[in-house]
Amino acid sequence: MPLRRWLITLLVLVLVPISAQAFDLDDLQRQLAATPSVAGRFEQQRELADLDSSLTSTGTFVFERGKRVVWELKTPVQERIELTPQAITDGSGETAPPGGEQVAQLFLQLLEGDWQALESRFTLQLSGDQDAWQVALRPKEAALRERIAGITLQGDRTIDHLDMRTPDGDRLKVRLFDQHPLNGA
Amino acid sequence: MTRANYHRLGWLWFAVLTLCTLWLGWMLRQGLPADTDLTALLPADRQAPLVERADRELGRGFENRFLLLLGDDDRVATTQALGKSLQTLVDEGQLAAIDWRELDLADADPHGWMGPWRYRLLTPQWQQTLDDGDGRTLVEPALRRLFSPTARPDPVADPFGLLDVWLSRLPQSPIGAADGLLTLDTGDQPDGRQWSVLIGELKGSPYDLPMQNALHSTLAQFQQQHPEAELLRSGLVFHAAAGARQAKHEMSTIGAASLLGVLLIIAFVFRSPRVLLQLMVPLLAGSLFALTLTLGLFGRLHLLTLAFGASLIGIAIDYVLHLQCDRAIAGRGFRLRRLLPSLVLGLISSVIAYVAQALTPMPGLRQMAAFAAFGLIGAWLTVVLWLPRFTLHASPFTDRLATRWWRLCQPRWQLPPWLALIGAIALVIVCAVRLTSDDSLELLNPSPAALMQDEQRVQQLLDRDTGSRYFLVQAENTQALLARLDALDAELDRAIADGLQIEYQSLAGSVPTMAEQQANLARVGKLYGAPLDDLVQRAGLPAEVARKARAQLGKSPPLTLDDWLGTPLGKLQQRLWLGRTPEGGVAATVVISGARGAAPDKVLRDLAGAQAGVEYVDRVERIGALLGELRRHTAVWVLAAMTLMTLALIGRYRRHAWRVIVPPFGATLIVLASFALAGVPLNIFNQLGLLLVLGIGLDAGIFNVEHARKPSAWLAITLSTLTSLLAFGMLAFSATPALHYLGLTCLIGLASVWMLVPWVRPVDPNRTQRQEIEHE
Repeated sequence: MPLRRWLITLLVLVLVPISAQAFDLDDLQRQLAATPSVAGRFEQQRELADLDSSLTSTGTFVFERGKRVVWELKTPVQERIELTPQAITDGSGETAPPGGEQVAQLFLQLLEGDWQALESRFTLQLSGDQDAWQVALRPKEAALRERIAGITLQGDRTIDHLDMRTPDGDRLKVRLFDQHPLNGA
Repeated sequence: MTRANYHRLGWLWFAVLTLCTLWLGWMLRQGLPADTDLTALLPADRQAPLVERADRELGRGFENRFLLLLGDDDRVATTQALGKSLQTLVDEGQLAAIDWRELDLADADPHGWMGPWRYRLLTPQWQQTLDDGDGRTLVEPALRRLFSPTARPDPVADPFGLLDVWLSRLPQSPIGAADGLLTLDTGDQPDGRQWSVLIGELKGSPYDLPMQNALHSTLAQFQQQHPEAELLRSGLVFHAAAGARQAKHEMSTIGAASLLGVLLIIAFVFRSPRVLLQLMVPLLAGSLFALTLTLGLFGRLHLLTLAFGASLIGIAIDYVLHLQCDRAIAGRGFRLRRLLPSLVLGLISSVIAYVAQALTPMPGLRQMAAFAAFGLIGAWLTVVLWLPRFTLHASPFTDRLATRWWRLCQPRWQLPPWLALIGAIALVIVCAVRLTSDDSLELLNPSPAALMQDEQRVQQLLDRDTGSRYFLVQAENTQALLARLDALDAELDRAIADGLQIEYQSLAGSVPTMAEQQANLARVGKLYGAPLDDLVQRAGLPAEVARKARAQLGKSPPLTLDDWLGTPLGKLQQRLWLGRTPEGGVAATVVISGARGAAPDKVLRDLAGAQAGVEYVDRVERIGALLGELRRHTAVWVLAAMTLMTLALIGRYRRHAWRVIVPPFGATLIVLASFALAGVPLNIFNQLGLLLVLGIGLDAGIFNVEHARKPSAWLAITLSTLTSLLAFGMLAFSATPALHYLGLTCLIGLASVWMLVPWVRPVDPNRTQRQEIEHE
């Protein structure tokens, strides 16, 4: 039945792009939430505009969704930093300077892909598909724009790249690799 | 005095009042110059202008702003609803601003404007480390900071993060941000939750009625729509609004009831609306006379004077009622001459009491006394000069009523003087044993309990203080002041380490002295030697970074107090700075919050006592002490006036004098004894009520003896106590403590006056004489 076949073809043609396009922030959040705890390694590179040089560090991290991120620097200095929604704690148990908890919160929200929380402060733009997606964030309010020019997140099952730019030209690039889910964490 | 002369005097009085009106109008052309400050009632050498200024500076935040805490399960939506409806008040021009969104309070980054000063600001801990030559130990933490994902490192301007360390030591606001809202997170407390914080700024006075109404209805509407939301309020505006609503409510209940009562009684007794009008004329004339002369004499008027002076003029209603009762009954047979001696005596005895008060060294009492005395004289002159000329027809009903009432109230036996004496002694003993006084401000706090609870919770949750306890620190110049503040802070830190549970805010924590800044710069210079090279090398940065960083040190300007107060962080501390003092020095405050009580108070007081130029001030306690001083002064001078009056009365009445003084003094004793037995403490307000009782009681006593056999006098005494009871005694039902105490005193006192009068009336020599009296 040509008509029927044609109809099915048409439906498939129409539906497939829809389902492809339907990869939205909610889907992404679900996809990320499927791996509640991740451990891996990181390489962090901070480019300082007025110095023509960069600060590079490496280490390992453990990420427990909704709870905390443990950031363990190995080179060039040893340091264990724990970020929770309430505070940043460093190796000596001291809490960070004022405003620190807001930075910690932002960092956690980024790693979790907590779009609802991020949307109150940023406009979000998702592109790509579930195997290679990218989210671009731009601050809504002028006060925040003075500190952050923009943020880009990239990844697949997990977040692989974080790129934060400040208005004065500094740039923080974080690459997360060798990621594996933690069981029973 | 001839009839023509009498008329002439009447016109003269009219001319005087017309002049008063003109003068008053001229003086009021720019509004009433009124004081509200309690200390304005004190002698000039006892006032402390600097303390006043500190009080004003510290109180401003509480007066001009309000704070709401909103707790709800659906916090974001309800906060947005409330925030938006309050925003409409801002748009309508009722409020100056409302902050509730996360970014409403986001100041520009301190790193921006504190930058150049950072090399001169070091925490004590870092000072110690650098003085010990342990600068190298700071390299490791600095490295960690440079590589932390959440830090914002700046290897040239601040490789060691000096500013962050220094900033973290400043008092931190407990208000943070969450869900895009200003948030107070009490999650670490037992039944903690996330509160939304809404901060409003008023445009004008917190007593502005339209603004109060708009704010009140907005909040009421919100609570109606969100009954499950918990809303806590803090700020003077809510207390002021509660007070205004209460006053309005009481005006329409207590006020209306007493006005209606007075109208009904007068209408019933005199059967003529004219009497009512004639009742008002002397009171108005008296008030006009008093207001003009007091203002002319003192230049300013205290609101307390106005309130109590106006009620004391109420005694003048006695003169009106005695005159009118006599006229209504005697008709054409009325002769002023017959009444004049008792009227004159009544006036003199009351005025003596006030003149005695006017001699006190307290300008407040003097003002009040002058106002009351002028008011009484004005009212009295109006009664004597004008009232007899207003038409008033004799009323047979009033006559019959007076006679019947007189017969009804004839006591079966007389109060013998010895019994009166024993009674008085017994009452004095009761008073001496049990009477207490309480001048604390808390006792007079008119705010509803629920609002006070809100206030306490908000202040406790936010660590917010109303600046009611502080150290006042003075010195010759800013540097000396900063040094003194620094020394005081060190003492406070020591006391806190020893267990004193307080916190304090001081300018010295933010602005070190010039000498110390210079020393800090030198310390940082040491840090920027070998430790800096080490840091740069280990971070893998080019060596020129160290050179650039060192170049910054030479460009660091000193941080002056003015600089600091101009920064966004410094603006939060502006209330602590008082600037130039009248003596040519400078002054600042150190505000204390936290534990209250006798023990911490003593520690703080001792701290202040041990240091030069430092004074500890507790506002609540200070105002209580002022009220107490006013109360004690009034008591002493009233006692003196009573003695003087008694002597004068003995001069006229000889052995009958006790009959005159029993109603006023007896009533006073009964009031005091009732307070003693009921445990009601004495304060300035019930003591001012006693003045009213004394005045009316004395008039009653005089007329009772002068016109012992005249039913019209007894009717007038009854009417005057009854109307005063309605006007002032009803205030006992007020929820405003000050009015309640005044009213309670009048209620008990005036009732006692009325009950005592018949028992001390001079005995008729012959019982049959009563018949004659009735047909006199």
